[in-house]
Amino acid sequence: MKSLVRGPVFFGLLIVLPLFGLQHWVLNMLVFVLMFAVMSSAWNLVGGLAGYPSLGHAAFFGIGAYALGSLFKGQTVSSGYEPFLWLPVVGLIGALIGWPIAVISMRTRADVFAIVTITFLFVVQTLAFNLHGITGGAQGLALPIPPFPAATFEQPYYYVLVLLLSVAMGLTFGAARSKVGLALSAVRADEDKARGIGVPTTGVKVLAFSVSVGLTAMVGGVWAYYQSFIYPQFAVDPLITIAIVLMTFLGGRATLWGPILGAGILETGQQYLAYELGGSQFYLIAYAMIFLLIMLFLPRGILPTLVERLRRRRSSAAPAPAPRMETAA
Amino acid sequence: MHALIQGVILGILTGGVYALMASGQTLIFGIMKVINLAQGAMVILGAYLAYQLFTSFGIDPFLAIPITTVVMFWLGVAVQVVFLRPLRSEDRSELSLLITFAVALLLEGIMSVTWNTTHRSINTSYANGSWTVLGYQITLVRLWAFVLSLGALGLLFLLLNRTKFGRAVRATVQNPDSARLLGVEAQRVSALGFGLGAATAAAAGSVYGLLYPFNSGSHYDLISRLLSIVVLGGIGSVGGAMIAAVIVSTSSAIVASTVSPAWSEMTFFVILILVLLIRPQGLFGTVGRGSI
Amino acid sequence: MRFRNRLWHAGPAGAVLVLAAALAACSSSSDNSGSSTGSKAPLVIGASVSLTGDFADSGKAVKAGYDLWASMVNAKGGILGRQVQMKIVDDTSSPTQVVTNYQNLINRDKVALVFGPFSSLLTVPASQVAKRYGYAFLEPAGGGPAVFDQKLNNLFFVQPAPVVKSGDVFADWLLSLPAASRPKTAAYAELDDPFASPIAESIRARFEAAGIRTVYKEVYPAETQDFSPIMTKVAAAKPDVLISGTQSEDAYGQVKSLVQLKFSPQFMFMSNGANSPVEFPDKVGPGNVNGIMSAGDWFPGSTATGSAEFSAAYIKANGGSADTIDNSSAEAYATGQLVEAVAKQTGKIDNATIIATLHKGTWPTLLGDLSWDANGSPNGSFHLIQWQGGKLVPVFPAGVAKASPLFPKPGWGG
Repeated sequence: MKSLVRGPVFFGLLIVLPLFGLQHWVLNMLVFVLMFAVMSSAWNLVGGLAGYPSLGHAAFFGIGAYALGSLFKGQTVSSGYEPFLWLPVVGLIGALIGWPIAVISMRTRADVFAIVTITFLFVVQTLAFNLHGITGGAQGLALPIPPFPAATFEQPYYYVLVLLLSVAMGLTFGAARSKVGLALSAVRADEDKARGIGVPTTGVKVLAFSVSVGLTAMVGGVWAYYQSFIYPQFAVDPLITIAIVLMTFLGGRATLWGPILGAGILETGQQYLAYELGGSQFYLIAYAMIFLLIMLFLPRGILPTLVERLRRRRSSAAPAPAPRMETAA
Repeated sequence: MHALIQGVILGILTGGVYALMASGQTLIFGIMKVINLAQGAMVILGAYLAYQLFTSFGIDPFLAIPITTVVMFWLGVAVQVVFLRPLRSEDRSELSLLITFAVALLLEGIMSVTWNTTHRSINTSYANGSWTVLGYQITLVRLWAFVLSLGALGLLFLLLNRTKFGRAVRATVQNPDSARLLGVEAQRVSALGFGLGAATAAAAGSVYGLLYPFNSGSHYDLISRLLSIVVLGGIGSVGGAMIAAVIVSTSSAIVASTVSPAWSEMTFFVILILVLLIRPQGLFGTVGRGSI
Repeated sequence: MRFRNRLWHAGPAGAVLVLAAALAACSSSSDNSGSSTGSKAPLVIGASVSLTGDFADSGKAVKAGYDLWASMVNAKGGILGRQVQMKIVDDTSSPTQVVTNYQNLINRDKVALVFGPFSSLLTVPASQVAKRYGYAFLEPAGGGPAVFDQKLNNLFFVQPAPVVKSGDVFADWLLSLPAASRPKTAAYAELDDPFASPIAESIRARFEAAGIRTVYKEVYPAETQDFSPIMTKVAAAKPDVLISGTQSEDAYGQVKSLVQLKFSPQFMFMSNGANSPVEFPDKVGPGNVNGIMSAGDWFPGSTATGSAEFSAAYIKANGGSADTIDNSSAEAYATGQLVEAVAKQTGKIDNATIIATLHKGTWPTLLGDLSWDANGSPNGSFHLIQWQGGKLVPVFPAGVAKASPLFPKPGWGG
């Protein structure tokens, strides 16, 4: 099956990419693209598959960052790989915090859910500033400096993120083919009816949310280790949420490859714009205009729109088969 | 005790300003089911306009309100027509969130280009004046801000309850389909409603600029508070938003005076969570099918 | 969802294409400027500065300082015969972007040297990148403890002393007063910020040891907009001296609040905000500034090396008067002066030379003579400045004082 081939080919490419002697700044950019790809893919589980647009994922990014920071506070690392080994714990912490949040906030529908999640984001940011004991407050938190050699410094982070991306995509892929995925799309389509026919809506929503934020927390941990020093207003930053939401929307919600595509385009674009045009304040205006144009002209995202256009062209060339269900989600 | 009462006074006075901002927000949500994440940015834009009128022409921010509200009204209508109307209705609730946020960023970008990012504040001659009543400080600007907010909200109330347009708005909020059946043009109401929301933001902006230093990035803090107030008050209820604003501001001020300023920032959120746990539709919202 | 639809190859193919395009575009635009060995090739100095975002105002002042220095040194023939080219990029006040920027500057654009960004928040992650590739990191605006805790020998903070010590000069002066004139009680209103509260705390430790009783202390979060609750309590405690660990916005907020409460302490020190020559009177009212003290490193009329030149050139390039020059520009300018001085002394201008040379001896700049310890922390101290007659003047130590300190502080002017 083609889909089973595409995945391994893509990941194979990713794995060998750094070995081509790419320059550091390129690897640095790829690390950030991968971070957002994982987060967008994870967000897709809740915002795309389940249809609940969470605006608070950045809170879990921050929780993951501070979790890793606290675990390693005041310690040094010998091989440098220890923090990576603790990432699953960080993910679990994120998921465990996400669980009750999901239960409380998913009693409401999508719009208010968005408000609650954004509020949670600001709560976490406030806590990050105020809980000096854990987070160091405004003074920030230092993480141990890894002893990786300068020549291959980015590689460990790169590979860990590739691994996380495969997990995120694997989950999305698997969900599509399982009962969980069916339940989620039922929730997305019409939740009341779904509950009426016995779909375990709450259970499946909460599961999706917890997994999603667990993954996000792990990315936060990787980021914290990469930066080696974190501050509350950057670790828990609403702009991160907006970025991953936009990337998923751009690529196509509820699709497998959409978030990755979105992350690839937007993160490289954003860094490019900031670096080249940053001198003038027009950077923010350019960014906002691109957002708006995407929202207005590609509301379904790139992939579903492309698919629909291609399908229409094919079906206008050949006699149309029996009408099928809407392809793009 | 003194600190507590001083906190209550501060909270009530500040609540008026937030009530004005939140009323526009909840109105927009009620009419269009759109969470306007750009409300904060529109308030700041209103503040900048008032600032500019003050520094260039010496117009007092309170007197500038008739000018800024008209300007912002048409801006709001334009935003709705250009960015929100083209959305298909099934996309609207999801995408509107992002679109209004993008509008907020766009406004932020434009403001930072036009006025750069230095913090501004409108320093009128009475900016630091205060009265002492029974041993409690009442700052003049806050008092005038409160009075103005009440006045503006009163006007809004009259508009909603005594005019044809207001009736159309209320009908659309309660039941859009029936309203349409009765001849209310949903699109027109939406556009005008959005404009009205923007106009309230302009009025609040003049006041905000007098009370706090602001720059193009100030809207993030504002919007998070506004969202909490709107949910507490009940989405779509202007009266609810007013009461919620005063409740939230007062609680915040009390916590700041009696406990510590650090935790007063969380008061908004604690209240929000409590509301959602106990009464998700807020104080005055309605429970409808498919809504919370 | 139809993952099996064969048209889904658009997805992964698209992702790879985008990556490939990005790589191709970026690598083709990289050139080797600045790394050639010819002595007449320009000396490209890279810096990531906050031109947008929270730090934009100071970031732009830093850029102005760097640019001014570059044009001044080029007019004198450049450095070792090479014309200086500043390559300044915007980090949007984000630590993520600043890491990427220095990566790009060092590895893609291959600049010869780098200067630091604005604020410790950005300096910390940026200095790590510089360290990894062996670049010297002269930075004018990262002086918080976290910066020096990193123990980087390639880092040099271009100011007279670490930021935490900027209140010490006030404590020095106050404690030098005869016992009868000294305050007996003190209140502390501190912003929860790596630059603000440590300064106030440093003063508090010394005051308490000297017997000045603390009657009130409050640390407030960064989002605080309403200072009335805090200042009400300060006023109620009636301290003789108020020490405010502040940045800008909260400094203005505190003063406005005190004016409204009609409380004026006899001595008042604000770590930041009150040292802005134009902003402070603009925000709190020109009649309210007199008597308030702060710390500074450069001031108009300073006779330190290169200061007069700098003032004149700045005014010519940017207009205004000496009083409107932002200190950040002076600090940025001093960064350039150091590079000039190293080149003059050693005849070389590579990173290893800079790192080795600056760790020895003292170096004259328009901020005074600077020297550093092994972690890049400077060994000097700031000046105490005070608002008098609507202007900021240095009042202590005697060597730099232009006027005597004024005390007790005059009441609020209105």
